[in-house]
Amino acid sequence: MALESAGLIAISSALAVGISAVAAAIAEKEIGSAAIGAMAEKEELFGKCLILTVIPETIVIFGLVVAILILNLAK
Amino acid sequence: MLYEMSKILVTGPKKVQENVIKELHELKILHIVEHSKNELADIGQPIETAGKLSEIMVKVRALINSLGIKKSEANYQIIDVLGIERKANLINEAVNKSNEELRRIEELKSKHLEILNELNLLAGINLPLEAFEPYNSLAIFTGYMHDLNDVSYLKGSLSKETGKFEMLADDKKIFIALFVDIGKKEYAANILQKADFMQVNLSNLGSNMLDRSGSASESIKRIELQMRKLDYSRERSINRLEKLADENKNFLLAAEEFLSNELEKAEAPLRFAATKNAFLIKGWVPTEQLNSAIENLNNAGKNKIFICSEHAKLDDKVPIKLKNEKYSKPFEFFINMYSLPTYREIDPTFFMFLTYPIFFGFMLGDFGYGIMSFALFYFLKKKIPKGAALFNVLLLSSAASIFFGLIYGEFFGLEELGNFHIPSLISRSHGIFELMYISVGIGIIHVNWGLAAGFANVLKVHGVKRAIFEKASWFVLEVGILLMVLSYMGIIAISSLIGWIFFAAAVGMLYKGEGIRGIIEIPTLLTNTLSYLRLMAIGLSSVSISVVVNEMAEGFFHEGGVLIFAGILVLLIGHVLNMILGLFGSFLHSLRLHYVEFFSKFFEGGAEKYKPFGAKEGL
Repeated sequence: MALESAGLIAISSALAVGISAVAAAIAEKEIGSAAIGAMAEKEELFGKCLILTVIPETIVIFGLVVAILILNLAK
Repeated sequence: MLYEMSKILVTGPKKVQENVIKELHELKILHIVEHSKNELADIGQPIETAGKLSEIMVKVRALINSLGIKKSEANYQIIDVLGIERKANLINEAVNKSNEELRRIEELKSKHLEILNELNLLAGINLPLEAFEPYNSLAIFTGYMHDLNDVSYLKGSLSKETGKFEMLADDKKIFIALFVDIGKKEYAANILQKADFMQVNLSNLGSNMLDRSGSASESIKRIELQMRKLDYSRERSINRLEKLADENKNFLLAAEEFLSNELEKAEAPLRFAATKNAFLIKGWVPTEQLNSAIENLNNAGKNKIFICSEHAKLDDKVPIKLKNEKYSKPFEFFINMYSLPTYREIDPTFFMFLTYPIFFGFMLGDFGYGIMSFALFYFLKKKIPKGAALFNVLLLSSAASIFFGLIYGEFFGLEELGNFHIPSLISRSHGIFELMYISVGIGIIHVNWGLAAGFANVLKVHGVKRAIFEKASWFVLEVGILLMVLSYMGIIAISSLIGWIFFAAAVGMLYKGEGIRGIIEIPTLLTNTLSYLRLMAIGLSSVSISVVVNEMAEGFFHEGGVLIFAGILVLLIGHVLNMILGLFGSFLHSLRLHYVEFFSKFFEGGAEKYKPFGAKEGL
């Protein structure tokens, strides 16, 4: 029983970080391609484009934090 | 910090315009504000020499391009424009001659190649080449057959109709040459079609470049000899061009620089306001250089010009020149990449100098990685002087990594060297939660720091009322949340209602200050603060990877023997990869924390860069 719940905890924390990473990747893909397009037209936009591109990265960080919190349940 | 700027107006008669332009070009301090045509004054006319100058310039640039000269420091004394033109024309002639010759050689080469291709087809057929010249009584077919059976079928069907034909075949390529009585030409063509014959016209054999005596293989030898000769003269032409480029490199580059300077001066009046007899220049000068500038200009203008100056007003669009001490100057790189602050805003360069290396070090914190990256960037800085600013930032950040490596007690992911446990204040692999709290704490400090800077910015431009509603409201919000949390947790003995009152007051203030947008942004306070958790997360991932690498290598070392080499390889590749990942991650995420979480609290930017007339880009 304990082993089972440990497995479930491991799986759920993996899901927490994995799914949020996929979500961030999808979001960044769209923004990134648009940003490259904008930069091709106007190179000075690099700073702004970089910011816009990395905004969704926060999602993964949250996912990771949640994963760590879930893992902590196992202790 | 920003340089203080003064607006300056220079006006005078057109007689002294050229002198004034020359002086301004040498001073390199005036940022010209371009005049646009209005009912009071048109823009100026370029100085007469501009047309001639740009004509020569085009010639010189074309030469630089066609000779493939790379930009570099030129050391050549330019005397005058006429000299440039004369010399450029001479070079142009020589280059054109060589290029023309090269073109001719290429053309000949491709002709010869075509002939060679056709000769190769005939190489297997044992006939002198003269035999392929047109006849009055014979038709010639040359081409490929599908397979050898078709060849014998062809022979059979032809001999049924006529005996007046001769067919020679190259068995290897199944290439045939068929000579047939002209009267039977159509019949032969019909049969050939049925036998899947693919005709090849040997049109180039008639060329006068070909000596048709002897067999095809003899001609091939002759043509190949010709080709070798052509290759040789092609080489010679290319060498001649290279020599030309080498000899005239310094002259051309110096001429280009000289001409672009002269042209800039000659075309400067296009940016001025002008009437029939007078000109007016508007621009910006750093205040500290204002007095010497006025004096120099008056001298140049023979005291016939009038100059007036004033300090920047609130709504002026002032060009920005960042002013920072030597230690924080490299961080201007990040500000230039983002956007320049407007004249009334705080320049965040110094803030970045304070916090960027700390964030970087917090994430990469490893003594070993820190030392390696420090060495790497020191080497790169010596190698690429152009990127010195960026490398200085990275050197400082690497030093911070070394420092944090000592705090975490980590050396390439190891917390123990042999039996020696490296002393540490906090361990990254065990104290995850402590690191989490520290990260959020850093986030709270940093975000509030940004809000305070925002308060100062709004205060300076829009006054105290808007500053309170737009920025101080966030502090009220935080106090409200803090009181709520504390009272719900039972740490302080007051009703949570007081917290709610603060919260409601803050929402009201925000609504008044920034409208509905302010309300929508309330949750960003939480997300922005939590975003600083990446300080812990990036570091954690880097630690995990290096621990895995070390354990893998250790496994190999335990096996012993040849596997020790495998262990060393794993260590090398693993740590190099992890370091690259760590450097990229720490660089970008530290930058992002500043750009997104920090700057959004106070920084708008969007100002124009100060570009003094006459100064080259990058100075």
